[in-house]
Amino acid sequence: MFIALALFSLLVTPFLGVQTLSPLGIASDEQLWYIFFHIRVPRTLAGFIAGAGLALCGLVYQALFRNPLASPFTLGVSGGASLGAGACIAFGVGGSLAGLSVTSVGAFAGALGAMGLVYLFAQLRSGTTTSLLLAGVIVGTLSSSAIMFLHYLSPMRHSYMMMRWLMGGLAAVTVPSLLVMIPVSALAAVVLMLWVPKLDQFMTGEDIARTRGVQTVFTRNILLLTTALLIGAIVAVCGPIAFVGIMAPHACRLLLGTSRHAPLALASILLGGTFLIVSDTIGRIIAAPSELPVGIITSICGGPFFLYILFRRSYRGYF
Amino acid sequence: MNNQSPVLRVDRLTAGYGDRPVVRDICFSITARQRWAIIGRNGTGKSTLVKCIASLLPLSDGTVTVDSRPLSSFSARERARLISYVPQATERSIPFTVYDYVMLGRHTWQPFLGTVSREDRDAVERALELTDLSRLTSRTVATLSGGEAQRVFLAGAVAQHAPIMLLDEPTVFLDPAHEAQFYTILDRIHDEYNLTVVAVTHDVNAALNRYTHVLALKDGMVFFEGRVSAFMKKTPGVLEDIYGIRFRRYEAAEDGLTVFGAWGCA
Repeated sequence: MFIALALFSLLVTPFLGVQTLSPLGIASDEQLWYIFFHIRVPRTLAGFIAGAGLALCGLVYQALFRNPLASPFTLGVSGGASLGAGACIAFGVGGSLAGLSVTSVGAFAGALGAMGLVYLFAQLRSGTTTSLLLAGVIVGTLSSSAIMFLHYLSPMRHSYMMMRWLMGGLAAVTVPSLLVMIPVSALAAVVLMLWVPKLDQFMTGEDIARTRGVQTVFTRNILLLTTALLIGAIVAVCGPIAFVGIMAPHACRLLLGTSRHAPLALASILLGGTFLIVSDTIGRIIAAPSELPVGIITSICGGPFFLYILFRRSYRGYF
Repeated sequence: MNNQSPVLRVDRLTAGYGDRPVVRDICFSITARQRWAIIGRNGTGKSTLVKCIASLLPLSDGTVTVDSRPLSSFSARERARLISYVPQATERSIPFTVYDYVMLGRHTWQPFLGTVSREDRDAVERALELTDLSRLTSRTVATLSGGEAQRVFLAGAVAQHAPIMLLDEPTVFLDPAHEAQFYTILDRIHDEYNLTVVAVTHDVNAALNRYTHVLALKDGMVFFEGRVSAFMKKTPGVLEDIYGIRFRRYEAAEDGLTVFGAWGCA
């Protein structure tokens, strides 16, 4: 079902938008051909990769931290990326690097910098999962303060650009940015899929996992480093898209009725990707000829989804 | 290996949290199939000692050896094949079914990706039978009672097929009926797998009636180690020294069972 949904969305959504395209029209009109293959297809693929990656990272964080509200941005990666992108915008640094805009490069550097800082703070304390979480909150808060300071100092135009970037969206996706995103995401996804079954052991507690032969510290470091790369690559291209990473894993737990992480990871990838491209398509259609950033659509879905979980008594996946 | 040679030896073990040692200079050795109860007052280092043996805490000094080889020289997987650990049943919000949880105990025998073999399935089914859990396999651990959850944790350790089993206060939250059931199951497992058992307990009567040996800790050091029969000869005085409280000794007329009751300040 998940595969069918994902395939259907991937095949259909590029044709939908302000103007619905037909295969015949695309084949006969050069302009439509360009719109389809240079704008809509890259945007759909980037959306799918972003949704899939964020969902997979959300699943990993929820298990590592044994916290149902953990999201890909729990460790301050989003804050770091936003600060990196915000600094580039505020200081008017333009241009591109390896096919990515400087803002994207700044966001990627900010995301990795934030993760490095979180890891450093945590190691200075005790290196435990709790200290990682606390360090994540600290880095996230400091980044938010710095972004507000940049907003305050910036002219209105830059402030608006920053705000728009923080909403997250797929409008800025280009073929070169997709070509950077694909190999990083593919590599990260392979590594994560190999290590994801170990998360079952983490769910029983780190002590038990260790007595069963899991190298918990090594496993955690592999997972944190890989997710940081993946989230950094996604946020650099699409901005911080909220709720996909927290919602998709829970939706998969509800639909599959299991807490085993190998099947959940596969389902989260498919559902997260599908959800994001469908949300993006809705955002493109409902406000036509303008478009709503996909981050707004995903956030709108987030509230009712958690209300449903709150009132669904039989859900024992976490809550 | 000779049946009487020590399977587990703890030599001059010192460990604690930060710079503060909780247990100091602990020495004892255990031969195969023995059942040791670790007793002592709260905070005297019983759980710390068990966690050191389980390689969950680093040692400040001393060694733990299994079959004459330092535990630190084994890989994490090799250690898991030698020693299993049953925690206190404080953490019950585990979202797995009973079957899935017990299968997780097979991790050390499975390949990297966790492929389940026929052997794994057989081991899990046997562990579930031995712990009277066959009827609860599809229940989520989070929905079980304290007694059932404790049996699930025990089954997970049984499925691990390690010759040494460590238990941290396994019956602390159980009523007398569930406690009796737990020890019946432990007897069954002990016989079937020739287990060596080391358990932390606050229940003095369980320690003296359900185990073969006692390790009593006082102020982080060994106060007594040896057979239960040798310990019994020193009671109730030795209990009063350990706990700082008076004990009375009662003997059941029908089967000669000896029990102790705590009784006011020493």
